[in-house]
Amino acid sequence: MKKRKKLMHKLPQKINFLVFFGLLVFLPIATVVSPKLTFSETENRVLASMPKLTFDNVVERKYMNGVESYFADHFAGRDGWISAKTGMELALGKKESNGVYILDDMLIQKIEGYDPATPERSITAINNFAEDNPDIKTFVMIVPTSAEIYKEKLPENAPNVEQKETIEEFYSAMSGKITTLDAYSALNAEKDGYIYYRNDHHWTTAGAYCAYSATIKKMGHTAVPMSEFNIEHASSDFKGTLYSKAVYDGVDADVLDIYYCNSGNPVDSVTVQTGLSEDVYDDLYFRDYLEVKDKYSVFCGSNQPIVTIKTNNENSGKLLVIKDSYANCYVPFLAQHYSEITMLDMRYIDTKYENIVNIDEYDQALFLYNFATFIEDENIKKLDF
Amino acid sequence: MVFSSLTFLYIYLPIVMILYFISPMKIKNLIILVSGLFFYAWGEPVCVFIMLFSTAIDYTAGIVMNKYDDNQKIRTACLIVSVVMNIGLLAVFKYSDFIIATINSIPGVDITNPVLYLNRAINDVIDLNLNEKRVELPIGISFFTFQSMSYTIDLYRRNIKVQRNFFSFASYVSLFPQIVAGPIVRYEDVQKEIDDRKIEVGMVSDGISIFVKGLAKKVLLANNIGLIWTNIKAMDYSELSVATAWIGILAFTFQIYFDFSGYSDMAVGLGKMLGFNFPKNFDYPYMSRSISEFWRRWHITLGSWFKSYVYISLGGNRNGTAKTIRNLLIVWMLTGLWHGASWNFILWGLYFGILIIIERLGWGKVLERLPAPISVLYTFVLVVFGWVLFDTNTLTECFAYFGAMFGAGGIGIDATAKYILASNIPIFLICILASTNIVTTILGKIKNKYRYAVSCVAPAVQLVLMLMCTAYLVDATYNPFLYFRF
Repeated sequence: MKKRKKLMHKLPQKINFLVFFGLLVFLPIATVVSPKLTFSETENRVLASMPKLTFDNVVERKYMNGVESYFADHFAGRDGWISAKTGMELALGKKESNGVYILDDMLIQKIEGYDPATPERSITAINNFAEDNPDIKTFVMIVPTSAEIYKEKLPENAPNVEQKETIEEFYSAMSGKITTLDAYSALNAEKDGYIYYRNDHHWTTAGAYCAYSATIKKMGHTAVPMSEFNIEHASSDFKGTLYSKAVYDGVDADVLDIYYCNSGNPVDSVTVQTGLSEDVYDDLYFRDYLEVKDKYSVFCGSNQPIVTIKTNNENSGKLLVIKDSYANCYVPFLAQHYSEITMLDMRYIDTKYENIVNIDEYDQALFLYNFATFIEDENIKKLDF
Repeated sequence: MVFSSLTFLYIYLPIVMILYFISPMKIKNLIILVSGLFFYAWGEPVCVFIMLFSTAIDYTAGIVMNKYDDNQKIRTACLIVSVVMNIGLLAVFKYSDFIIATINSIPGVDITNPVLYLNRAINDVIDLNLNEKRVELPIGISFFTFQSMSYTIDLYRRNIKVQRNFFSFASYVSLFPQIVAGPIVRYEDVQKEIDDRKIEVGMVSDGISIFVKGLAKKVLLANNIGLIWTNIKAMDYSELSVATAWIGILAFTFQIYFDFSGYSDMAVGLGKMLGFNFPKNFDYPYMSRSISEFWRRWHITLGSWFKSYVYISLGGNRNGTAKTIRNLLIVWMLTGLWHGASWNFILWGLYFGILIIIERLGWGKVLERLPAPISVLYTFVLVVFGWVLFDTNTLTECFAYFGAMFGAGGIGIDATAKYILASNIPIFLICILASTNIVTTILGKIKNKYRYAVSCVAPAVQLVLMLMCTAYLVDATYNPFLYFRF
C-alpha cells in the first residue's frame, strides 16, 4: 500500500518528464523526416538552405546563423505554426500582422508614413521627362490602394495615410504639360464592387476596368463598354501577397478574372526582355501562373524590365507605359487602343530610358503607379540619369 | 545560443539532456563542460578562448593559494592576479571603447583604442575577421568574470574549499544554463553539487516547470510587449503624445522584467534538470514598497555579489554615515556601470544609489508607514523613470523622452496611443497580473487543497505553453536578446 502511494506520488512528475522530453524529441525527428521544400508557397519566398561548414563560416558565425534559419524554415509543420501564431495574436486583440490589417472580409496593406522627399524626387523626374519630350503627351495615374477606398473599415485610430489628399498634392506639383488621371473617384464610386483582391495588394481586373473606363477619354479614346467583354473566372483559389505576409486563413480566397473582348484579341505579339533574354509570346496572359501561388503574374508574366506589345490596330499610335505591377492587369485594356505599347519597369532598369526605347517614336506616355509604390519607390528618379 | 531559439530547444537541449541522463555520474561533469563550451562557442566562436583563459587563471590561482596556505603574501598575490585579470578582461572588452571615447572628448585629443591594433595584428596573421572599428563585447563576459572571481575571493577569505579538479572547476564556469545571462551563481552556491549531486525525477520535473514558465515569460510576454517599445522608441520624441510616451516606457518596464526574469527562470529550471540548485534572481520586484526593497528583489544575485565583494570590502556601514554614503555611491555607480559602458548606465546606478541613501536617512521609515498601494506606486514610478535613463541611447534622448512624458509634445493623447492601447490591452493586463504574486498565491492555495489534481494538470498546461512558444519562435520576426551590453 505504502509503495503504491509512493508510486502514485511520483507519477505526475514522470508524466511531466515524459511530456516535456517527448515533445523535445518528437518535433526534431518530425523535422528530419518531413520532406524538405526549397520554396514556401504560403510565404511566397525561397527557404534557407543548409550552410557550408567551413572555418571562415564558423569564425564569422555565418554557419551558426545559417543553421538557425535553416532549422526554422524547415521546421515540421511550419505553415501550421505560423497560422497558429496569427490566430493567437488576433485573440490577444492585435488587429494587424506583419504590416497587414486583418479585417473580417479582407486584408489591407498598412501604409503608415513615408519620407516626402522620395515622391518629390519622382515628381521632379516625371516633370523633367515631360519637359524634355514636348512632343509626347504625358499622363500620370496614381492609383489609391484598398487602404484608402475602405478606410472606414480599418481598426479605430489605425495609422493610415490620407491617400486621396496626398495624390491631389502630388498632382498639383506636376508640370502643366502633364495630364493627371483621377483613378480615385472612379474606384471610390464602385467601392461596393469587387475592385481589390481580398488577399493581395493589387486591384482586380474589375478595379482596373473601372479606372480605365473613367479616364481613357482623356487619353483620346472611347472606352470599350463592359458588355463587349467576356469574363473568364480563371482562378477561384487565389491567395496573394497579403495572405503571405499575414498568414491568416479567415478571409475567402480571391477570384481572378480575365476579360476577353468579344471583337477578338487585338494582341499580335508580346516581347519580353528580361535583361538576360528576349522572348516573344502571342498573348498578354501567361496561364501557367494560374497553377502556382503567385497567380497575379498571369497578367504580363510578372514584372519584367521591358515588355513590348504589338497589336493589330493599325496607325493607332505608340504608347510608353512607365509603371509598377498595377499596370499589368490594366495594359490589356490599353491594348484595345494602340498599335504598340512599351512597358518599362524602372525597378529593373539601370540605364537612361533613351538607351532602351527610341523615344521620338512615341505619341503618348503614361506613368501608372499605385500609391504605396509611388511614395516609396526610389527608381522613378532614374529617369533623370 | 539563446534558450529562446528553436535550435536550442529542439536540437541542443534534447541531445545534451539525453546524453547527460544516460551517462554515468563520473562523466556528467565532462558533458557539462563540453556542452557548455559548445553552447558558448555557438555564439562566440572566437571569444570562447577568453573564457577558457579566465578559467585557467582562476583555477591556477586557487591551486597556488591553497598550496601556500600559510604564506599570506603569496595568497594575496594570487588574489590580485585573479581580480586584475578578470577586471582587466572587462576593461578591455567591455569598457575600452567607452574609456577612449571619454578621453577623446577632451578637445585636441584623438587616440585609437589599442585593442583595435591587436585585432588588426591578429587578422593579419590569421584571418579571424575581428572587428577593426570597435571592440565587440563577448556575450556573458560580465557574468562569467564575476562568477569565477567569486571563487578566488571566497577562497582567499577561506569561505570555501579549493577545487583541485580542473574539469570540475571549468564545468562550473561553463555551466550552460547560467553562462550568458545569469543568475550570477557563486562557486559557494554550487560547490557541493559540482562534485556530488543526485539527479532524480522530482527535481527534473520541477526544473521543467520553472523552465517552461521562464520560456513563456520571455517568448509570449517580453517579446510581445517589447514590440510596442521598439516602435515607440523609434519615433520622433518631440512629437510624442504624453500617453504614447508612457505606454512606450511601461512596455519596456514589462519587457525587461519578463525578459530578464524569464531568462533567469529558464536558467534555474535547466540547473535543476542537471541537478543544481541555483539561487533565485527575481522575487516580484514591481511589488516592492521602497527602492531598497526593489533591489533586494531585482537581479538578486548581482546585488548580493556587490554587497559581499565591494560594499563589505569597503567597510559597509560600520564607519559612520559619511563613509556609508561614500560606499553606497561607489557600489551603485559600479552597479550602473556593470550594466553597460555609457554615461546613461552610470547615472542610472547613481540615481538608485541616491534614492537608497535618502531612504536610509529616514525616508524609508516613512515609506514603511504609508499604505502599501501608495508606497508600491511610488517605487514603481521611480523605477519606470530609471528605465528611461537605462534604455535611451544618449542623455539628450533621455531628456527628450522625459519631456515627452511630461507634455513637451503638447498633446495629451493621440490616435497612435489609442490604437496601440486598443490592440494591446490584453497583453498589458496579463503583464500587470504576472508581475504580482496574485496568480501564484491563488495557485498555491488550490495546490494545497487539490495537490494531486494540480500536479496532473500541470504537464498539460506546460505542453500548451511550449506549443504556443514554439509557434512564436517558428515565426520569430522579433526575438531580441537584451543582455548583449551586460
